[in-house]
Amino acid sequence: MSRAGKRRAIAVLFAVLTSAAVFGQPSRSFPNRTDSLKFAAIGDNGTGDRPQYEIAKQMENAHASFAFDLVIMLGDNMYGGQTPADFLKKFEQPYASLLKAGVKFQASLGNHDRPENVDYKPYNMNGERYYTYARRNVRFFALDSTLMDTKQLAWLESALQTAREDWKICYFHHPLYSNASRHGSSVDLRVTLEPIFVKHSVDVVFTGHDHVYERVKPQKGITYFVSGAAGQLRKGNMRPEEETAAYFDQDQSFMLAEVSGGDLYFEAISRTGKTVDSGVIHRTGR
Amino acid sequence: MDSSRHKGTGKRRGLRHRVRTSVPRLSRFAVEHLLLLPLGALIALVWANTAPESYFTFTFAIAFGVNDVAMLFFFALMTKEVVEATAPDGVLHPRRRALLPIVASLGATAVPALIYVPVVQALDEPMLAVLGWPASLVTDLAIGYFVARLAFGRHPAIPFLILLGIASDMIGFAILAVFSATGERHLTGLPILAGAIAIAYGLRRARIRSFWPYLLAAGGVSWFGFFWSGLHPALALVPIIPFLPRAARDPGFFVDALPTAKDTLSRFEVWWRYPAQAALFFFGLVNAGVPIGAFEPGALGLPITVIVGKPLGLLAGVGVALLCGLHLPHKIGWRELIVGGLVASMGFSIGLFFSGALFPSGQLRSEVSMGVLMALAGAPLALVAAWLLRVGRFDGEHDNPRGAASHGRTGS
Repeated sequence: MSRAGKRRAIAVLFAVLTSAAVFGQPSRSFPNRTDSLKFAAIGDNGTGDRPQYEIAKQMENAHASFAFDLVIMLGDNMYGGQTPADFLKKFEQPYASLLKAGVKFQASLGNHDRPENVDYKPYNMNGERYYTYARRNVRFFALDSTLMDTKQLAWLESALQTAREDWKICYFHHPLYSNASRHGSSVDLRVTLEPIFVKHSVDVVFTGHDHVYERVKPQKGITYFVSGAAGQLRKGNMRPEEETAAYFDQDQSFMLAEVSGGDLYFEAISRTGKTVDSGVIHRTGR
Repeated sequence: MDSSRHKGTGKRRGLRHRVRTSVPRLSRFAVEHLLLLPLGALIALVWANTAPESYFTFTFAIAFGVNDVAMLFFFALMTKEVVEATAPDGVLHPRRRALLPIVASLGATAVPALIYVPVVQALDEPMLAVLGWPASLVTDLAIGYFVARLAFGRHPAIPFLILLGIASDMIGFAILAVFSATGERHLTGLPILAGAIAIAYGLRRARIRSFWPYLLAAGGVSWFGFFWSGLHPALALVPIIPFLPRAARDPGFFVDALPTAKDTLSRFEVWWRYPAQAALFFFGLVNAGVPIGAFEPGALGLPITVIVGKPLGLLAGVGVALLCGLHLPHKIGWRELIVGGLVASMGFSIGLFFSGALFPSGQLRSEVSMGVLMALAGAPLALVAAWLLRVGRFDGEHDNPRGAASHGRTGS
């Protein structure tokens, strides 16, 4: 090998090692298969403050080695003002590189979002408060938990009934299970929604609202995540109970997931890029 | 100096005497009209925050029966009071009581509604701001009457405030009929409603004296018409009650019919008075159980809005009415209007009803219901304001109840 060739090889090796050091952590527990579905989850993100931008940067870093093409938004996508300038500051600028890379954001709304935000094109809600879509072997159901009326419930029953994909994943804002002290579980919603989820074999539920990360042990066969700290944070707000499988309330966080066959791999990643929880959910085929 | 101290002591003794002698007269009213709803609400609050799963499972199971069926009788009895009191021979007939409180109610509802939206927006609850404002319109007539009597004693402000409350609630229900956060309206229900009214009219023309045909035939069809229209079926007896034959003279607002009463409307009241109170208990139990964890700053929007907006709106509305050439009743000035506005800020039973009618269970309903409960602060605020402004019972010239007797029998 020529001297120039050796220099190139050393440079490439250095770049690979550097990249692994900086970006490598998120992909450690993922199979990162080419034919799998990879997505990220963010909740309570739309502050426009520095932590939101830092989480967005971590998402961008992760995307370099873990090419997710979908971000599910768990509500409170926008706090305070919701003018075009706010959409720029609180959504388009922090996630600019992901949007440019063609990553699709699919939003659900929280109690701080304006109802008319369903028409904001980059949220891909097509003017609907609740909607469903499929990616590979997964069907997602984005719900409006702020206004869970009978019409939405009837729609959900019907949509779940007709879903033919292997995985059924629901996401919305208010957590059915949460052990954060500020809000905690929305038990009224749980009494309404959980029987429907169980009846139609929903596998995983992602929510926000409490500004922490929590993974709840499977409840009636369903794994629940609270991921409401992609912009906001209530430091030290968790009061873990017996049903808490893992939690992180010391910094902002977001989630990455990969669905490959009958397995869903997940990681919760902090604002500094540290993996604070990871694991795999095996679909039971209930 | 001594004489002034004696004068002060005498005044205080007089006040104590007045409170001691007047409050017991109100106590029966409080027990019969005000106790069960707060009791149900209190149980609900404790239950929802200690064993939420069982609370919501139980209350969701009975919610339809309570909210959409049993509450029929509460609204029927409220309608009875209003129909009797505002009829030409009633104690609150507008010709006798003047149009002023009705005109003033436009201000007392418009100002809180207009304030509500920016206040709740500022509290960063945009969805609540857009959908929750109708809850700021209404007044609980029973608790409003009770607090007004505590603040004013016998005073021309009492019929004035009752009429104001009735007019505000009518505006609220009219808006609720056309405004729905989630439901749809079906115009096909209107012919059914017209049919129910025709049945009631026919029964009246046929001089049917039992209330059962009105209730079962006209009321049943009306309930279905309301339900089918997307309107709240608990209001189904509201258009039917005016057709029930009634006695020639109204005994007064919130004065219970005697068990020996013979007219159809009084018989209806005697039969349904206690079931309606039981319905109110369960209504409080089903609707007031808000989890504390659901609190968001937006919940403060309602109490802020009504406690500030009702007195301001009432003053503005009265100002407009005076500009239109109407006259304030004797002994009512701006100080009485401020106290009256605070009294009117309490929506309680009607506010909880609006919360349930506007929203499905969940975050927004919890926030509005919390706001309704917090707006009960209007009661102590009204009494403090009455004391500070020296109006009503706290006015040194209040020793002459006869002076107010000519302003109508408003119950005791």
